[in-house]
Amino acid sequence: MNGINFKIEELKSALAEIGGVDVTIGSIIEDTWEEAMGPTPMPSIDTLRTWDHILLNRYKPFYSPFCDMCCLCTYGKCDLTAGKIGACGIDIGAQQARMYLLSSCIGAATHGAHARHMVEHLIEKLGSDHKIDLGRFISVNAPNIMAVVGMRPERLGDLRKVLDYAEEQIVQCLSATHTGQEGSSIDFESKSMHVGMIDHVVMEAADIAQITGCGFPKGDSDAPLVEIGMGTLDRSKPVVICVGHNVVTGTEIVDHLMKKDMMDKVEVGGLCCTAHDLTRYEKTAKVVGHLSKQLYFIRSGVADVIVVDEQCVRLDTLKEATKVKTAVIATSDKICYGLPDRTNDPRQEIIKDLANGVPGALILDPEKAGEVAVEVALRISEKRRKLKALPDKKEVMKLARDCNVCGECKRTCPLDLPIPGAMKTAAKGDLNGLVDVYDLCLGCGVCEPACRRDLPILNMVQRAAERKVKEEKYLLRSGRGPILDTEIRNVGPPIVLGTIPGVVAYVGCANYSKGRGALAEMAEEFLRRRYIVVASGCAAMDIAMRKDEDGKTLYEKYPGDFDAGCIANVGSCVANSHISGACIKIPSIFARRNIRGNYEEIADYILNRIGACGVAWGVYSQKAEAIAVGCNRWGIPVIVGPHASKYRRLYLGRKDIEDDWYVYDVKAKGERVFVGPAPEHLMYASETKEECIVMTARLCIRPNDTTKGRMIKLSHYLDLSEKYFGTLPDDWPVFVRTEADLPIAKKDVLLGELKEVGWKPGRIPDPTNLERFKLKWR
Amino acid sequence: MELPFEIGPQFEGERIRKDDMYIELGGPKVKAKAELAKLRKADEIEDGRVEVKGLDIGEMEEGGRYPFGIFVEVAGEKLEEDMEGVVERRIHEYCNFIEGFMHLNQRYDIWCRLSKEAHAKGFNLKYMGQALIKLFKSELPIIEKMQVTFITDEKEVVEFVGNAKKTYEARDARARALSEEEVDEFYACLMCQSFAPTHVCIITPERMSLCGSISWLEGRAATRADPKGTNFPVQKGELLDAIKGEYAGVNEVVAERSDGETERCYLHSMFGYPHTSCGCFESLAFYIPEVDGIGVVHREYPGDTPIGVPFSRLAAQTGGGRQGEGILGMAIEYMRSRKFLQADGGWDRIVWLPKSAKEMVGDAIPEELRERIAMEDDATDIDSLKAFLEKKAHPVVQRWGFEVTEELKNKLIAYIEKREGEIYPEEAAKELGISEDQVMKVIDGLREDGILE
Repeated sequence: MNGINFKIEELKSALAEIGGVDVTIGSIIEDTWEEAMGPTPMPSIDTLRTWDHILLNRYKPFYSPFCDMCCLCTYGKCDLTAGKIGACGIDIGAQQARMYLLSSCIGAATHGAHARHMVEHLIEKLGSDHKIDLGRFISVNAPNIMAVVGMRPERLGDLRKVLDYAEEQIVQCLSATHTGQEGSSIDFESKSMHVGMIDHVVMEAADIAQITGCGFPKGDSDAPLVEIGMGTLDRSKPVVICVGHNVVTGTEIVDHLMKKDMMDKVEVGGLCCTAHDLTRYEKTAKVVGHLSKQLYFIRSGVADVIVVDEQCVRLDTLKEATKVKTAVIATSDKICYGLPDRTNDPRQEIIKDLANGVPGALILDPEKAGEVAVEVALRISEKRRKLKALPDKKEVMKLARDCNVCGECKRTCPLDLPIPGAMKTAAKGDLNGLVDVYDLCLGCGVCEPACRRDLPILNMVQRAAERKVKEEKYLLRSGRGPILDTEIRNVGPPIVLGTIPGVVAYVGCANYSKGRGALAEMAEEFLRRRYIVVASGCAAMDIAMRKDEDGKTLYEKYPGDFDAGCIANVGSCVANSHISGACIKIPSIFARRNIRGNYEEIADYILNRIGACGVAWGVYSQKAEAIAVGCNRWGIPVIVGPHASKYRRLYLGRKDIEDDWYVYDVKAKGERVFVGPAPEHLMYASETKEECIVMTARLCIRPNDTTKGRMIKLSHYLDLSEKYFGTLPDDWPVFVRTEADLPIAKKDVLLGELKEVGWKPGRIPDPTNLERFKLKWR
Repeated sequence: MELPFEIGPQFEGERIRKDDMYIELGGPKVKAKAELAKLRKADEIEDGRVEVKGLDIGEMEEGGRYPFGIFVEVAGEKLEEDMEGVVERRIHEYCNFIEGFMHLNQRYDIWCRLSKEAHAKGFNLKYMGQALIKLFKSELPIIEKMQVTFITDEKEVVEFVGNAKKTYEARDARARALSEEEVDEFYACLMCQSFAPTHVCIITPERMSLCGSISWLEGRAATRADPKGTNFPVQKGELLDAIKGEYAGVNEVVAERSDGETERCYLHSMFGYPHTSCGCFESLAFYIPEVDGIGVVHREYPGDTPIGVPFSRLAAQTGGGRQGEGILGMAIEYMRSRKFLQADGGWDRIVWLPKSAKEMVGDAIPEELRERIAMEDDATDIDSLKAFLEKKAHPVVQRWGFEVTEELKNKLIAYIEKREGEIYPEEAAKELGISEDQVMKVIDGLREDGILE
């Protein structure tokens, strides 16, 4: 019970060994965590290669080249089609894998830089000795870091060590994409998995730092319901909007308003994940929406001041904001927009300039940026109120008459939306077509440059849908952060037994194929069936943007716990680490497996026992690529939406190859046992929401399910297939190990069918894919 | 018969809120309600028969509350009268397998609700009876014949409740009389090996499974119903230690099924070789060395124990199938056992218990101790606990008087020398004529003297 000081001498990570002989960085990590060190603390890019190959041997990469050329070096462009080899010797498979690795490195670097900024900012503010405190119900405070790095961070300063390690790994992985480095697609994939794993480590570092340093909810299932939607802002007040992902300046805006006792006099809101984090900091802050609302919102002119931080911020923000006289403050060295650096200028001067029409300023001091944003909004709000940002309805009709229905907009639109038809009817005075476009539109704006008549298509659409926009007011449960140890203790057994049939996480961005609302429908299907539903990021916002007939969103209808039939919004993008974290916490807290530096064993546990499945329906970013492959390495399958086939590769299992689906049965001296395709894929692209729903239920099936658990999982899988496809799936018998697995209601019929296909009973093993455990766990 | 609703375990846990409710059967606002299972001879019942005495759902008024009786009669060659209780408990489980039907509580306290949606689909009690018969026979194949009678007529329900209560009393008396001495076989449960691969739960008439859901009778029924399942009989074998509850047969099974991880198992002690803990235990006992007593905390209690940590932290220190001295996962019901931690002093040794747990097992606590066991309001830390125990003259206070004398130290040194440097606390305790805890105190004394490392 007493804490023992444990020291790990930080390792030269390419030689992952304990003992302190090969110390290169030289710093010492101390923590009071008693757990014994596992075999792979601070793994380097090859340490977990064997595990990756086990996964990749079963879940083979399936490539769908988004581009079949390579244009990275001056020997190229090289055409890689039809088996051709590039000038460096690369083939098309390796090139696709290389591009995925490159993207994942971008994703992990982005979260890593975000984490670094957050940690350094908080250390400057609170000191490196500031304790990481996630509340009394969380002692496994950083499951990803604990399992990967092998330490339990106890103070903010400890996170520096985590980030030092992670940054080195990102550099290592990125270096492998240089011409003339890695040449095998499988090893590129293994490195993608590595950098994806690192991505979860840095996300976790960022989020636990901001939870502890900014006082966000600490796994609070009752986190406040906050307002979300384009219609939530009170336009009679000055409006300051933050866009991006890094909430540091946002907190300063709130602090400044609190200091002035004016929080209720100014509207503070956000777009994208920074909005999530703003509400975690101050519950009266408003979430305007996700990425697909950015351009619409900026053009609406509602914001007096826009503060951009980092990631997923539209690059034309300054240009568009200037048109509607919104002042822009850039606050991150990653987005400077060519603006003059005013960081060291006197505050009053910057405020005066912005209030007098200077379009923007770069201010890298968050506290100063926060003050300037508020003061400028207070000064310009009054006169901006008369501004007319959008054409009125008559003008919309007039503009529509200018359209020559050439169809370029539709051809350019990623969703192939019927804009020309809508223009045609609008020209005749009926704006409903444009309203329909608004419902589906992703707000990317690529239609406008394509328009031969230079029509402001988005402005026309927004004006037409004016009423809808105003009515966009919903409630979202603010991001609760991590899952409590106590919750894990309660749901651990039913998840592992299978009687809670799955944990479904709706994550990712807003690049949907058929409009919004699908996510809420999918989530509710699983909530009603008492799965555990988790959400984060843009997906969590989107789920809020649908009401039932009683006017309630899912966050109002279902509790915010991590429990069956509940929906837990963990928070922003970096809070995704709490979802993988929850899977790691199950073996740690409740099955008492050591997680410290023990990646493979825990990933093997998750793959075989925890029926978790991620659904990233609208993913578009490189960060999402890194997050997905990071989940995959932990043994968590991910379903992506139709657009994500542009990620170039999937990990698909082959249920027709029986040999792929054997595990070692530890209870039977390592005998190989057939467990069926469970889970069948690690990364799967779904074309429709119906297919996605059925696949989600299917990917929650695990070899370890007890008969009751399997019966429940099969009941849902069969029922959903009948509900959405009108028929039983053709492969259900492969999931039946004993008669007791069969859904009771259909048992007689199904037994008959099993006999017809010559089914033979199997058995339920104590499964592992790791040879070293085949005889004994410890 | 085609049922107008789905059935299966996926509907377990479905809540029917007031607004979604069509009617309520039984429940707190209705006096007459009960459920009962009875074993019959094969020729006494008609398999598949469902009878409704009183109104069926279609004749009831929306929003109404009605008296309710569920009477299940079963027959089967391998069924024993002892299993009636087991069959009866399954009524709760299987009613909840029915889509749109909610069942809470048991015996004369049942509370059921039918959803509006289920009613709209054509639900009635005749169908429900068919569903129950199908579920019972499919899940418990030792039931060969079964008939169900639903009673909604108030007069009939009142009569039914009277008869049922007589059966409950007789059954309880019989269950209370069951003891470890009286039976030859215990039952093991390996369900939790799914996550705690070396955990073996041993279930005796006086020791329930840690999760609180499998009694000895349940275990017995489960092994008969599904011989290939996760429950199986354990021949208790030779009694090695009557106080600690050590049996040769249990040790053998535990060693085999834990892959050699656990070699011995005391059923009624948390010291030496305690029972392993899984991960879903309802409560846990933890040793508090400062007062030489034992605290008990249950899963539902969110606050800190007097040692400054909540259930969750304590639970994190045991579990996963490990054998850990001083912390023991257990069923709440185990506190009612006559053999409750008897080797460690039983209730005499319990010094702290959350108020809510005390309410649950209050009647099992010996009268003279009831007020002497501290709760969260009495003691929040070790100092206040000590003061409370002293003030109330709790039996553990007498243990505090133990003094580590030079004589005892010398005796222990002699013992250690005899054993060539090894200490077996149990053996040393016998040798010195003191308890194992006291041996540990002597060892501490020798450590302080610098004699032992």
